[in-house]
Amino acid sequence: MSFSLECKKIKRTGFLPAFLGGGLLSAMFPLINMAVRAEVYVGTGGSPISVLLDANWQMMAMLNMLILITVSCIIYHTEYADNAIQKMCTFPIRESRLYFGKMILTLILLVLILAIQGLAVGFCSFHWFEPSPELMPQLLKTFGFLMLLSVPAALLSLFIASVCKNMWISLGVGIVCVFTASMLPPDNFILSLFPFALPFQIPVGMESGALSFFGTGNGTFSLYFIVVIAEVLVLCFAEILFLKIRRSFE
Amino acid sequence: MNFFSLIHVEFKKIRRSKILLLLLAAVIILWVPSILNASVNFNIQDIGISPENNFLIQGFLGMSWFLFPASMVACTVLLNQTERGNNGILKMLALPVNTAKLCIAKFTVLLSLAAAQILMSVGMYFISAAIASQTQHYPFLLSPTFVLKEAGLIFLASVPMITFFQALSVCIRTPVFSVGIGLASIVPSVLMINTKAWFAWPMSYPLFIITSEYGKLASSMDASRIEWIPWIPVAAIFTVVCFLLSCFCFGRAERK
Repeated sequence: MSFSLECKKIKRTGFLPAFLGGGLLSAMFPLINMAVRAEVYVGTGGSPISVLLDANWQMMAMLNMLILITVSCIIYHTEYADNAIQKMCTFPIRESRLYFGKMILTLILLVLILAIQGLAVGFCSFHWFEPSPELMPQLLKTFGFLMLLSVPAALLSLFIASVCKNMWISLGVGIVCVFTASMLPPDNFILSLFPFALPFQIPVGMESGALSFFGTGNGTFSLYFIVVIAEVLVLCFAEILFLKIRRSFE
Repeated sequence: MNFFSLIHVEFKKIRRSKILLLLLAAVIILWVPSILNASVNFNIQDIGISPENNFLIQGFLGMSWFLFPASMVACTVLLNQTERGNNGILKMLALPVNTAKLCIAKFTVLLSLAAAQILMSVGMYFISAAIASQTQHYPFLLSPTFVLKEAGLIFLASVPMITFFQALSVCIRTPVFSVGIGLASIVPSVLMINTKAWFAWPMSYPLFIITSEYGKLASSMDASRIEWIPWIPVAAIFTVVCFLLSCFCFGRAERK
């Protein structure tokens, strides 16, 4: 019930077109980059996907994060703007159901736009590079992994938006967090685990289940997987706890 | 109501918004990595820039690329939401005040917030340079007139960008689009400054100015020269168009 309600709420907020439009814009980066200066990238050697991600992913990830922050601000702004949240609080449901409904909606769209971006990268690899049989499984693995890494950022931006009742504060905090993530030194594994810094990590070399990363080097797939799960659990727990505490002080 | 009392009212409206705190937090986060990585400034001999200049320019590059434009987008959200939340704008429109004047008053507040953030980052620069001088035993402090000149250049170059954000937030009523377009327009500026058509992208002006200052200070980097002739007319036309557009659209949807 909560999820279908959330789908109805976003109807006139521009949530869907903004999310998809931003995702498409971000998917345009590799296409335009290859169309304008393909000769810079084609002869460099290495697998096409890692060449393309190396050239474009920083920008694409940046744009994806800005989309996530903006839409989480909007999706909670519709609750706070005209005190709709007070009506929601009078219903016999937990307040955290709101958060989880919004979370599922955001994650579905996040998977959708990352799939579009994966298609764009796949198209570039087929069109400009020499197609090889292992391209498809590698593409699926890479983007599956990038989706996984983006989940904590989505949850954290929703958490920030749910904490602050004023949209400019949640937007400002989100912007400061993205900026911090982009300032972090790239070769530090511990700092790369900050939820907003995770989407900037690029997996390269997918041989035999072990992944190496640009910069970090010492992070493996299973380690990142465990960290993402832990961050998701911590953020969900923090949200539930925060809502309980806020409710008791209102 | 004369113009100054309007500006006074606008400042009163944002008094409890905590926006200055937010801008200050952003500025602190900007300079803390510079203090921690101050020793990096000594490993740049091949570029031919002195460590103290590098310290300043790297900080300002980070600010003018993303932090400052994105903070300005957040400020436009603030100015917009204080009016639209609880329909405050209807009361303002009921007053016998020209709406264009109201819009200009809001724009003045936005420019003051921009100036405040730049001044805060200059202040934080002096503090962090003093700390770095202590830790590295090397004088990182530059003369205040030089630092203020660079900061002033960033501010002047950002005026077209700020008018654009103001026009976005006034003309597009759905906040997700005005914020989304504003933020999305910042990201490509790092690509635009390397092209010949950089002057056609107002969001890249502050970054371009600082990059060209970087080129001037570093002896072995070929500086991207500022070409005044296509730039100044294009920037002026862009600013005037955005300014007139926002004055024209202000309060239009609410008066229907």
